[in-house]
Amino acid sequence: MLASLQSRLYDLVRRDTFLPRFHFLAIGLLGIMLLLLPQLTGLVLVGLFTRIFVLAVFGMSYDLLRGYAGIINLGHALFFGGGTYIAGIVFANYGTSPTMLGLAVLGTTAYAMLAALLMGKIAFRRGNVVACAMITLALGEIVRQIAESWRAVTHGADGLTFPIPMMFRDRVALYYYALAFMVIMMLALRQFIMSPTGRVLLAIRENEQRAIFLGYNTASYKLVALQVAGVVCGWSGVMFALTSRFANTELLTVQQTLNALLVTIVGGTGTLYGAIVGTAFVQLAQHTLLGLRGVHLIFERWLLFFGAIYVFVVLFMPTGIVGLYQRLISHWLKPVKPR
Amino acid sequence: MSNPIIWTKDLTVSFGAHRVVDNVSIAIDQGVFTTIIGPNGAGKTSLFNLISGLIKPTSGRIFMRGTDITHLSPIERVKMGMGRSFQLTNLFPALTVFENVRLAIQARSDLGLDMWRPFHRFRAINDEVESLLGDVRLTEKRSFLAAHLTHSEQRKLELAMVLSLKPAVLLLDEPTAGMALEDVPAMLELLTAIKNDKQKTTVLIEHKMDLVASLSDVVIVLASGAVLTKGNPSEVADNALVRAAYLGGGKYGEASA
Repeated sequence: MLASLQSRLYDLVRRDTFLPRFHFLAIGLLGIMLLLLPQLTGLVLVGLFTRIFVLAVFGMSYDLLRGYAGIINLGHALFFGGGTYIAGIVFANYGTSPTMLGLAVLGTTAYAMLAALLMGKIAFRRGNVVACAMITLALGEIVRQIAESWRAVTHGADGLTFPIPMMFRDRVALYYYALAFMVIMMLALRQFIMSPTGRVLLAIRENEQRAIFLGYNTASYKLVALQVAGVVCGWSGVMFALTSRFANTELLTVQQTLNALLVTIVGGTGTLYGAIVGTAFVQLAQHTLLGLRGVHLIFERWLLFFGAIYVFVVLFMPTGIVGLYQRLISHWLKPVKPR
Repeated sequence: MSNPIIWTKDLTVSFGAHRVVDNVSIAIDQGVFTTIIGPNGAGKTSLFNLISGLIKPTSGRIFMRGTDITHLSPIERVKMGMGRSFQLTNLFPALTVFENVRLAIQARSDLGLDMWRPFHRFRAINDEVESLLGDVRLTEKRSFLAAHLTHSEQRKLELAMVLSLKPAVLLLDEPTAGMALEDVPAMLELLTAIKNDKQKTTVLIEHKMDLVASLSDVVIVLASGAVLTKGNPSEVADNALVRAAYLGGGKYGEASA
């Protein structure tokens, strides 16, 4: 009796059976909480979480490049800001009917694919990571400059204010749309990662030379990765347009790209959901620190604390929150006996 | 014997003033097991790098099956049926043993840019991985990360990856380098199986002389970047020049291992 109870307890904490169950439960609980959140809290948190969902997709698209294909893209914001601007320009000039939303999405898709094609053709020519980073940085700046100078369409540095389709004007509805958007994008990207093409991206990150000598045309695989990431990122830009109803050139700056980079660093790279965890952490930390303004004026300078957090993460959690979690889990639970 | 699958004409590569490979004209015959030996720094690996396309020659040409491949990319050469392993282990360290081999087989399979179907659904590929892992005795390590294997196992894994390309020509750069002595017989067994497959042409770089003697049909000796001699293993072993190169210290009298 006691022995059987003991073995059942042991079964419960064995890593191979316990962890999947635990994760299933945790994700289920989290899902229910997220579904109920708008009923339980005010619009402030609803808005914050909507932002998290949208920016998490931005982060995941960056993780696809950095964490899977091993590409450092410093011009990634041109996809994000591009999506926001295209949606904004369409809504501001042609109305906010659902057709126009479709047009904005299609336009963004076409723009992102074309931009990714050009960017990839230039940046992957020599297969050098640093050259790629510098070239993408320059291309991102070019797009920002265009947005700033093309005042007739973008209103330049003033920024572009625009209305959004009716269905998204309700903040709670938008929350659910954004949540669905994030979940769908994560599943789609996961599917992509698990596909033969996605596996080759891992191979490129691990050892590009070996991949080449297996006969993989690594440049064309990187181009595919950039196109997928670019399109997904563009769509997150469109979603961002729906949450902000405003576009400015800030969205196209390197700073915007670095936000995605930092999110993947804090959350953990090469996992996709690390970007979600990272975005949630960064946004919630920012929200909390700003909320402490009333306590002491120093929290006005929340960026100061942010910098400290980043340094701490890079020094002590090089694999991010997700990596730390995985390490803790493998320490805590007995390793599985090989079968 | 006069049916070369790969040949080079006056192949030369210089790094600065140093001629690492110096006017090498060799022919690798179809179905023949050729071994390249020579003291350290003789240019063996550089010759491999030239043939496989990792580096471009300063002058000279490389042919494969009658086609001039001097200016083709490594990828195009792999597609023509060339597979190479590296002297320093060259794997996908953070991927599993299974995934390492699977990626090699996928490279040869015509999947194009499939972006949707999960990779583990491709049964034919998975079965092939299993059979190859069996061939190199790594079945039990299939879910280990490549980085966590012993050095000998990594060498076997790399050989499995090259074999899974089903290349017509195998360039094997010291597959036993750094291997524990007790693991060498297993590698010899694998190499013998490759040798007995007459569809394959193998070029091996090797230092272990007993291995060279028992495997090679033809031995090419390089010293200071140039071909010193070529012949069957016993001819080469008796050659005075070879003895001088190995024991007396190369062409210019520098000490060499």
